[in-house]
Amino acid sequence: MIIVNLEPDGKRIELNDTRSVLAVLNKLRLRPTMALVARRGELLTSDRKLVHGDELLVRKVTSAG
Amino acid sequence: MKCTRCRKTAHVSLPSHHSGFCADCYPLFFTKQVETAIRREKMFTREDRILVALSGGKDSLALMLELKLQGYNVTGLHIDLGIPNSSDKARKKVEDFCALHALPLRVFEMAAWGLPIPDVKQYVKRPVCAVCGRLKRHHFNRIAVEEGFDVLATGHNLDDEVARLFANTLRWDTAYLSDQGPVLPASDGFVRKVKPLFRLSEFETANYAFLKGIEIHSDPCPYSGGASFTAHKELWGELEHRSPGQKLQFYQSFLKQGKPAFARLEKETGVKLAPCTECGSPTSAEVCAVCRIKAAVRESKAQAE
Repeated sequence: MIIVNLEPDGKRIELNDTRSVLAVLNKLRLRPTMALVARRGELLTSDRKLVHGDELLVRKVTSAG
Repeated sequence: MKCTRCRKTAHVSLPSHHSGFCADCYPLFFTKQVETAIRREKMFTREDRILVALSGGKDSLALMLELKLQGYNVTGLHIDLGIPNSSDKARKKVEDFCALHALPLRVFEMAAWGLPIPDVKQYVKRPVCAVCGRLKRHHFNRIAVEEGFDVLATGHNLDDEVARLFANTLRWDTAYLSDQGPVLPASDGFVRKVKPLFRLSEFETANYAFLKGIEIHSDPCPYSGGASFTAHKELWGELEHRSPGQKLQFYQSFLKQGKPAFARLEKETGVKLAPCTECGSPTSAEVCAVCRIKAAVRESKAQAE
């Protein structure tokens, strides 16, 4: 299971059977250049692998006014 | 993915540049893009006094920090819009950021000036984003002129510029198409305006802000729901995903091939500017739009009370 803290929405989401950053983005319907993904304060590119229990920050980058 | 520069593990992937960078090398890429923008467009020099418009978002704060690190003479200007549960948070981010980096800051309060944005939303029968933007531009320019700054810098990025160009193109708005670009020269009471982040996407400025530890105000404005600007960015995000590099190509090709034609047309048919009879700001009418908005709100408020 991967835990996602989604910003700026302020949502906490649990994802099962998700083993890469790209898979997380796909499940959130985000393209790789539409959000930052970080684990323990370190930015991750979309090809990085994830392990059970990883907690991610996913921060959408589009300004909404 | 490996860093294009040093071959360590990459932390940022940039498909439009066919590159990836580690946390140490990414800021060098960012700095180079800003340096290129300033140099190629002759935006300003280290002798110029630069007023930087600060909203509290990633772009304006990243711009302010980067210009300071490059040795420019920068002062921040934040406009407190007076929106409950929003403006106070944005203002605090800006004030904390400037205090942390020992950067000079001016704050202008719309409420103290007599026109908080909630009043605009309540009493003006036009899209609040358009009116708010006009008011902010008015005060950015007025303060820059009154306080003798050489140039006003804003954190507009490539996505902002492309979304705006796209919207102007959908309407074939000759006036806006004639002067959209990363540099707007000083003229007729307007200070020079520059956009040093125009070569960088929102994703790219967001990565820089994250890596530099900048605390940003990322809550959307409570009044901006359904803004067409956001929808246009989403459309372009999809296009860029399918064809990386399209945004910069669209924008730069417009600057080279489209803008000169629109500028010529506007020179022939455009309106002349003169000082507003009430506030002195440049306007195509006798009384400028900002003074008219202020008067309209005052009258509507008086009638309602």
